[in-house]
Amino acid sequence: MRPLDEKETTAVFEKLFKFTGPNLKHIVERPATEGPDEAPGRYCFRLHKNRVYYTSESIIRRATNISRDRLVSVGTCIGKYTNSGIFRLTIQSLDLLAAHARHKVWLKPTAELSFLYGNAVLKGGLARITDNTHAGDGVVVYSMSDVPLGFGVAARSTQDCRKADTNAIVVNHQADVGEYLRNEEEL
Amino acid sequence: MGKKKKVILPPQLPPDIPDEEIEVSEEDLDFVNKNIEYAGFLTKLDANLINRHVTRVADYKEDELEALYEKKKKKASLKKSKEEEGLQVDRVDALPIKTLEGELCYRTVEESNIAHKESGSASEVKDTDSDKGLVKLTKAERRQKLKKSKKEAKRQAKEEVKETVAEGGLHSDVLAKVEEDLSAQDLFARKKIKLAEVGMALLEDPESNIKSLKELLHICIDEDHNIIKLGLMSLLAVFKDIIPGYRIRLPTEKELEMKVSKDVLKTRFYESTLLSSYKAYLLKLMAFEKDPSFHCIAVRCMCILLDAVPHFNFRENLVAAVVRNISSSDDVVRKLCCETIRSVFTNEGKHGGQVTFEAVRLIAELVKAHDCQLHPDSIEVFLSLVFDEDLGKSEPKEEKKEKLSKKKKRKQHLEQSNQLLVSEGKRRKHELMSKTREELSADLKSVSFAPDSDERRRTQSEILSAVFGTYFRILKHCMNTSFQRPMLNDISSSIGLGHHPLLGPCLLGLGKFSHLIDLDFMGDLMHCLKKLAGHSDSDNDNPSVSLTVSEKLQCCIVAFRVMRNNLDALNVDLQEFFVQLYNLLLEYRPFRDRGDVLAEALKTMLWEGKQHDMHRAAAFVKRLATFALSFGSSEGMAALVTLKYLLLRNSKCRSLLENDPGGGSLSGLVVKYKADATDPHLSGALASVLWELSLLSKHYNPSISGMASSISSMASMNPLQTQAYLSTVSPLKAFEDLTIERELLKAVNRKSSFNKKGKRGSDFVITDAEKVRSLESEMDEDVIESKFEEHFIVLRDIEENEKLRLELNKTSSALRLYEEYKQQRKLKQKRKQKQQNGG
Repeated sequence: MRPLDEKETTAVFEKLFKFTGPNLKHIVERPATEGPDEAPGRYCFRLHKNRVYYTSESIIRRATNISRDRLVSVGTCIGKYTNSGIFRLTIQSLDLLAAHARHKVWLKPTAELSFLYGNAVLKGGLARITDNTHAGDGVVVYSMSDVPLGFGVAARSTQDCRKADTNAIVVNHQADVGEYLRNEEEL
Repeated sequence: MGKKKKVILPPQLPPDIPDEEIEVSEEDLDFVNKNIEYAGFLTKLDANLINRHVTRVADYKEDELEALYEKKKKKASLKKSKEEEGLQVDRVDALPIKTLEGELCYRTVEESNIAHKESGSASEVKDTDSDKGLVKLTKAERRQKLKKSKKEAKRQAKEEVKETVAEGGLHSDVLAKVEEDLSAQDLFARKKIKLAEVGMALLEDPESNIKSLKELLHICIDEDHNIIKLGLMSLLAVFKDIIPGYRIRLPTEKELEMKVSKDVLKTRFYESTLLSSYKAYLLKLMAFEKDPSFHCIAVRCMCILLDAVPHFNFRENLVAAVVRNISSSDDVVRKLCCETIRSVFTNEGKHGGQVTFEAVRLIAELVKAHDCQLHPDSIEVFLSLVFDEDLGKSEPKEEKKEKLSKKKKRKQHLEQSNQLLVSEGKRRKHELMSKTREELSADLKSVSFAPDSDERRRTQSEILSAVFGTYFRILKHCMNTSFQRPMLNDISSSIGLGHHPLLGPCLLGLGKFSHLIDLDFMGDLMHCLKKLAGHSDSDNDNPSVSLTVSEKLQCCIVAFRVMRNNLDALNVDLQEFFVQLYNLLLEYRPFRDRGDVLAEALKTMLWEGKQHDMHRAAAFVKRLATFALSFGSSEGMAALVTLKYLLLRNSKCRSLLENDPGGGSLSGLVVKYKADATDPHLSGALASVLWELSLLSKHYNPSISGMASSISSMASMNPLQTQAYLSTVSPLKAFEDLTIERELLKAVNRKSSFNKKGKRGSDFVITDAEKVRSLESEMDEDVIESKFEEHFIVLRDIEENEKLRLELNKTSSALRLYEEYKQQRKLKQKRKQKQQNGG
């Protein structure tokens, strides 16, 4: 377990920034609530076995007691480095993203299942979309009862969505909560 | 009668004059100059006196007049001498009253008096004139006023005569003046009569008397302002009556050459004369429009003309002139122009939409030329425009139609070419036929007033684009120039409006016509509105837009309206506007900003909005509760109604009502409530407790306290019941209700301000339960009646309470006095005892 180096930090922050925009500040500066200490300090990012964890300082201090090869996980895993060295956000980061997301998409109940199977969001399944979304922005996908279902990348802007065909893709799928079942062993 | 008096009187005086003129000494002149104040004082006294005398004169018969005048003369001179004695007592070195010639020095005083008076009367006349110029009257009123002024003039003339009788000074001058005056009056009356005669003749039989229009026009070239005004007005009346219901087309030269019957010639002559004189009249009006003394009347005439005959020739000039004055700084002129334009917009049947387009175009140009610094009225007229509902939708169909018709034409063409082969003669005949048919249809079109639907649609879309162009220009202008304010701006600064005088009506218009906005514009529009509402992008962080809170709220409202009207396109979540509203709630100040706008914003954004995610709803609930706690009862009520609605819709947010902070698993990532967060999502409101409600349930206003307690009882409610409980009172309505109530309460409060606390504690508790019930039930007349009843019962209670209190005070003070008296007596007795003991 080690702190991220500069290159890795940029990679992680760039990914997060896509979803949260200026709210990234809040993610980094948030006072921690986890851990047994009176003042648990801040949250920080740690790299462990190709995975990036988002953990409070007090937990990290205690985790140093455990040898590296025995430590499975610490705090919340938010993403991992693939074999080719690219950083990917994983579904565990959904809570963090949902709390700070700038752009949101709400799905109609009929389209929820399709999205949870890993498919992209079509215009027909779109119930609501945040204004001022641009193509390429990170989007958090919600059900109509405001339960976060996953996240993805907007394929077209809000403006284009108005005129788009019913079968046009609005959000490209990146991760969804269905992965907890489908890819249980990989997580 | 009056005239005779004037004619008879003057000859009596002359003999005195020469001596007097000779004997005026320099000393006297000096004296008068030094005591100008006294002289002025004197003139006042004189005027009153003489007025009284004159009015009295009117009651006597003619033969008595002379004697009366002589009497009066004596009296007046006596009085005058007395007065002047009184005045001159101050002067020690000048005591001229001893001899009979003592009168002479007063002459000098009077001379100046007369001069004063004359100038005064002249200024008076001017005043009345200018009054007429400013205040617009109907014809009848004008006439009355004229008569009045005439009478006044007569009276003044009489006064002057009186003076000459009394003082005998400057007689010849005054006489000449009087004569002049008389002749002017005669002339005026004669001209007036002539105007009336010519006008009547024209109205009776316009065809035969059409020539006299020129005569009328000629009368209008006069020195007398009143005559000119009268002439303009009577011409207006005549034109309004005789202008035909069609547009006059002057015959071409070819047509002139043709031989025609007598009747046609007559009509032609009539029409051409009418047109030329109308043109002359309009030119005159335009010329007078630049003259400040006639500006008002000229604009008035043009407005009435435009209103009455918008179909007639030269309407473009009329429209241009009216639009030019639409943002005049003169209230009357502006109102008139706006009304006219509005009636043009609403009565499109009269002119088939052409004038509407013209007016809209001109207004747009005006806005452009004045850099959006006009009076808001000039844009507000757009609100009365009427568009067809299917304007936006049917345009593509039209294109299809055109395509179809093109195809048809091609077919026809083919057929024709086929026919061409058949025979040359037939073809020629056919061509001729079609040509004449086309001409005929064109003629018909030009004559008929109902344009076909295509043309109507075209004009309407042109109008619409002009209107939206203007609106966007205003929005852009507001965005660009909000920081670099040009300091000297004639209209807006003089009227005292804000920096963006046109923004308000512009937003209203956008809200009204939002369903007609093209989807392509929507993005830009939203961007503009967002900027104006105070949203600043992260990269260029200048707090540039300096609109007031109300204006920002209006921006938000309009954005929501636009979105809702285009719901079929896409359901868009306007998150940024919610953030703005969230922050604007903090900036709101009850007396600086408009509460109704706030209530409307709450209504459109939170109350009518169907879906809100949980965090946002919770944040708004918390902030609204805080808001309700810190502001007046009506704003608080609006906030509470919204709050209740939000809690009803979002059952998860009801954890706010529970007593333990933290919010459990729902609170999300922000664990502690941050009251100062700018983003509702990051405020962590779910972790807080709505302690405000328990304070609010002790609010002095019974409806608020009832509302608060009903909300806090919602915690135990079954989530399934919610739908049945949805209240029907919107925040706006609640706000208005409470404002009315507050107005009523104000009177009471003023009365009983000295002992507020005690009363509220006792009186309002009783009505509380009923109030709550009445609020929850639907608002109908019975409820209002019962409310009033309660209200007045409370009022009476308060009064009675006051009385009782007074009595109580009296009795208690009496008791106290008695006690004091007792004590004193005891003391005295003790002293006495002591003294006795001592003794």
